[in-house]
Amino acid sequence: MSTAAPGPAEGGAVTAPRASRSVPLIGSLQGYIGLVLIVVIGIWTQGDTFANLTNLTQAVGYFAPRAILAVGMTLVIIAAGIDLSVGSLMAVGSTASALMLTELNWPVIAIVPASMLLGAVFGFVNGAGTALLKIQSFVMTLAMMSIARGVVREASDNQSVGILTLTSSNTVAPGSAQFQQLGTPGKTLFDVPLIGYFPVLALVIVVIIFQVVLSRTTFGRHIYAVGGNPTAARLSGVNVTGVTIAVFTLSGLLAGLAGPISAAYNASADPLAGMGYELDAIAAVVIGGASLAGGRGNVIGTLIGCLILTLLDNVLGLNQFSPNWQLIIKGVIVVLAVVIQRPDLFARFAGRRFSGPKGGAAAPTPPPTSSSAATDPLHKSGEASGS
Amino acid sequence: MKSITAVLVEGQVTGTPDSRTSRTAEQSLGSDVATEPGTTNGDTLGEVPLLEMRGIGKSFPGVVALREVSLTARAGEVVALLGENGAGKSTLINVLSGVFPDYDGSILLDGRPVTLHSPTEAQRHGISTIHQELNLVPDLSVADNLFLGRERATRGLVRRRDSIAEAGRLLARVGLTISPRRLVRQCRVAEQQLIEVAKALSMDARVLIMDEPTSALADGEVRRLFEVIRGLTAQGVAIIYISHRLEELEELADAVNVLRDGRWIGARTMAGTSRDELIRMMVGRSVEDLPRREADAAVAELAPRLQVRDLTLRGDAAAGRVALQGISFDVRPGQVVGLAGLMGAGRTETLESIFGAHPQSAIGGSVLLDGEPFAPRSPRHAIDRGVVLVAEDRKAQSLVLDASVKFNTSLPSLKSFAAGGWVRGGAERTAVRREVARLGVKTSSIAAKVRTLSGGNQQKVVLAKWLLTSPQVILLDEPTRGIDVGAKSEIYDLVSALAEQGVSFVVASSELPELLRMSDRIVVLCEGRVTGELEARSTDQETILEAAMARSQVVAP
Repeated sequence: MSTAAPGPAEGGAVTAPRASRSVPLIGSLQGYIGLVLIVVIGIWTQGDTFANLTNLTQAVGYFAPRAILAVGMTLVIIAAGIDLSVGSLMAVGSTASALMLTELNWPVIAIVPASMLLGAVFGFVNGAGTALLKIQSFVMTLAMMSIARGVVREASDNQSVGILTLTSSNTVAPGSAQFQQLGTPGKTLFDVPLIGYFPVLALVIVVIIFQVVLSRTTFGRHIYAVGGNPTAARLSGVNVTGVTIAVFTLSGLLAGLAGPISAAYNASADPLAGMGYELDAIAAVVIGGASLAGGRGNVIGTLIGCLILTLLDNVLGLNQFSPNWQLIIKGVIVVLAVVIQRPDLFARFAGRRFSGPKGGAAAPTPPPTSSSAATDPLHKSGEASGS
Repeated sequence: MKSITAVLVEGQVTGTPDSRTSRTAEQSLGSDVATEPGTTNGDTLGEVPLLEMRGIGKSFPGVVALREVSLTARAGEVVALLGENGAGKSTLINVLSGVFPDYDGSILLDGRPVTLHSPTEAQRHGISTIHQELNLVPDLSVADNLFLGRERATRGLVRRRDSIAEAGRLLARVGLTISPRRLVRQCRVAEQQLIEVAKALSMDARVLIMDEPTSALADGEVRRLFEVIRGLTAQGVAIIYISHRLEELEELADAVNVLRDGRWIGARTMAGTSRDELIRMMVGRSVEDLPRREADAAVAELAPRLQVRDLTLRGDAAAGRVALQGISFDVRPGQVVGLAGLMGAGRTETLESIFGAHPQSAIGGSVLLDGEPFAPRSPRHAIDRGVVLVAEDRKAQSLVLDASVKFNTSLPSLKSFAAGGWVRGGAERTAVRREVARLGVKTSSIAAKVRTLSGGNQQKVVLAKWLLTSPQVILLDEPTRGIDVGAKSEIYDLVSALAEQGVSFVVASSELPELLRMSDRIVVLCEGRVTGELEARSTDQETILEAAMARSQVVAP
C-alpha cells in the first residue's frame, strides 16, 4: 500500500486503459450496490420494523448533522485538504444557537443564519491558516478542533443548554416550539413524509446545492483543479489561495448549519456534542469515492456514503448487534469501500505474478526524456536524480 | 595524469556493432575532426581497465535512450562524459549505478563481467554515484548519514562513539573539518558534496560517478573538490565525471567521452583535443540542411509586443531557482524568439518571471507589453493580458492528470464559457471539441482522462488549453520534451502558423536544432545573463554553445 502512490499513476495508464476508464463507473456503482444490500438485509431481517417512515426518518435525522458536515468535508477533501474541526464547529453552532434562543430570545429565522455565519468565521480562519500561513490543513484544523471545543465549553460553562428548559421568567423561550421543528423527531415542517422533516430537507437541499456547485460552476472546477494539481491550477490562472480559503469557509458554514439541527434533535446543546463526528464525515466521504489525495469525489457519492453508514447502524441496531460490533463493522466497511474503488490494486497483484520479482512490467519505466519521468525510476530505488 | 586513456574508437570497434555508429559520427563531423589514430599508449597496453562498458543499450517504451555506448576507465583516471541535455549521460550513469534492472550490453570490472541490476549490487562492486541532487537526510547528523543503512551497531544499538570516530576519519580523507555530529541541514552545499564523497569512500568505492558536482559550488569550493578528486585518483579510484563546464574538464579530466542522441560519438584524451572539437562532437550533425523559418521583413517593421528590460530575479537556492541578472530582449508580433542555454542558465526562470509565476517582490527590471508596463502579480493577470506559459514539466505543472481532456482544456478559459460562475456545458464542449480537433489530439473522447494519452497528445492538450484563451504572447518551455518525432513537427508547424497570424513566441529549449528551426532570433543565456543574441538564420549550434558556455569565472589551474 505504501508504495502504491506513484504506482497506479504509471501502471494505470499503460497496463489497462479500459479498466481505468471503467473505474469511475464501478466506483459509483459499488456505492449503490452496498446501499441496496443494506436495505435488502434490513427488510429481510426486520421487515416493516426497518422499512417504515418513522424509523427511516429518525435514522436519517439522527445522522443528518454528520451528513451535512460530510458535504463540507467533501469540498475540503477534493481540494486535497482535511477538516478535523467540523465536529467542534458543529458544537459551537449548536451551543451558540441554543444560547441565542434562550438567552437572546432570537427567532429561529435569525438563529440559523447567525450560526452558519459563526461557523464560516471559524472556517475562514482554518482556510487562512492553511492557504496563507501554509500550515498543513491536518495540523491547522486539529488546532482549531481543540480551540473551538475550548471556546464552546467556556461559553456554555460546561453545561448543556436545554432548548425547552424554563428560563428565569419561568417560561420556555418564545422560539422554542419553532426551534424544535429544526430536528426534534416527530416535528415536521409540512406534511410530506421524510422530506417534511427539516434535517432531511436541509440535507437534501445542501446536497443538491453543493453537487451543482461542484459539477456546474467555475468555482467547482477550480476546487477539483486545486486538489488535482495545485501547481497546474495556479499556472492556469486559478486563485489557489482563494479556493482553499473558500472550501474551509464553506465547511465551517455547513458545520454552523448542522449545529442547530443537532441541538433541536437532542432538545439541548451539549458542549461535548459532535465529538468524533469529523471522523464519521471523513468515512462517509471516502466511502463515497473521494480520495484523500485530492481531485476526486462528489457530493452524491458522499450522500451514498452517509446513507450506508446510517442505515448500517440502524440495521445492526435493530438486529441487536452491540455498539461495539457496529464500530467494528463500520471500520471494515470503510476499508472494503476503498479497496473496491481501486481495481488497479487487484491489477497490480495480478501483474506482479507474471512480471517477476520486481514488478517491473506492472509499472513500466517511463522514457527519460521527460524530466518527471526521469526521476521516477530513481525514486523507486530511493535515490534522487540529476539530469 | 597517471595514464593516458586509450582512445577507443579504433581499439574497440573491430567486429562490434558500434563501428557503424562511430563511423557515421566521424563522417558527419567532417574531415577536420578525424579520428585520432588508435593512440593506445604503450604503457596501457595489456593493462586491464578497471571499468569497461561495452555496447550498452537501454530502451524505454517507445524511446531508445542509449544504443551501443562504450566507456572505459582505468584506475586513477578521471573520465569525463560530455553531451548536450538529453544526450544520454544520465541514462548511462543510471545503468552503471544499477538503477535500471535491465539493459543491453556488458559491464566488466577488472576484466570480469558483472551484472548491475540494483544500486546495492553496484555498490557491492565498488561503484558509487553522487547525483546532482544530493541524497542526504537533512535532519540526520553527518555521521548518521555516512553510515545510513550500514549503521555500526551491536544488536541493534548504534555504537555512537565508534561511528563518530570513523566518520571523523572519513571526513578527514576528503579534507573536511566539520563535526560528524553536525546536522547535514546545517552544512553548506559544498560540504554536503564532500560528505557524499566520504560516504562513497566508506563503501570502498573504486569507481565514483559524479554528476555535475560543481553546479552549485563557488570557485573556492570547486578548487577544494578538485583537490579531493586528485587525492582519490592518486589512491587508484576511477572517476566518471559529468560536467558542462569545459574549462573544468580541461583542468581535471584525463579523457573525454562524448555522447549525442544516446550514441557514443567518440573518446578523446583531454590533452589531445580542443574545445572546438568537443563542441563539434557534441553538436554533431551539420545544421545547414535544417529547415529554418523564413525571414519576414514586415515583422521587423512592427513595434515590439513584448519588451524585456534588465529583468532580474532573486535566486532561491532552496527551491533551485536560478538568479537572473539583467535579461533584455524584444519580441515583435509574429516573431519567435528562442532562449538557449545550458541547465541552470535561467531560461525557465526568465519565462516564469514574465508570466508572473514568481512573486513580484523577487523581480526587478521591467517588462512592457505593447508599450505598457506589464508586471503580473499572478499567472491569472498574465493570462488576462494575453500572455500564457506552456510550462516545462507538463505532468507536474500543466495538467491535472486524473481529470478529463475537457476539464484540462477549458481550465484557464472557463470564465468565457460561464455566466455568473455557471459553466455553460454546451458552449464549453463545443469549444473544447473544436480546439482538440484543430490540434489533432488523439483521444477517444474529450471525457477521457489526460493520464491515458501519450506524451505528444498531452502536450497538445496543454497547447489547446492555452489557445482557448486567445493569447497574444505564448511562452514555450521545452515544448517538445519527451514527445515523438511526429508530434514534434506538428508542434513546429502549429507555432509557425500561429506566428503567421501575429502571435508572439518565446521558446526555451535545450535542443539547439529545435531552436534553430523554430526561432527568428536566439537569445543565449548563461548563468542568468544574456551572453549572445543571434539571428537564427545565420548562426549555428557551435556559436550558440560557445556563448552558452561563456562562464564568467574561469577556474585557474
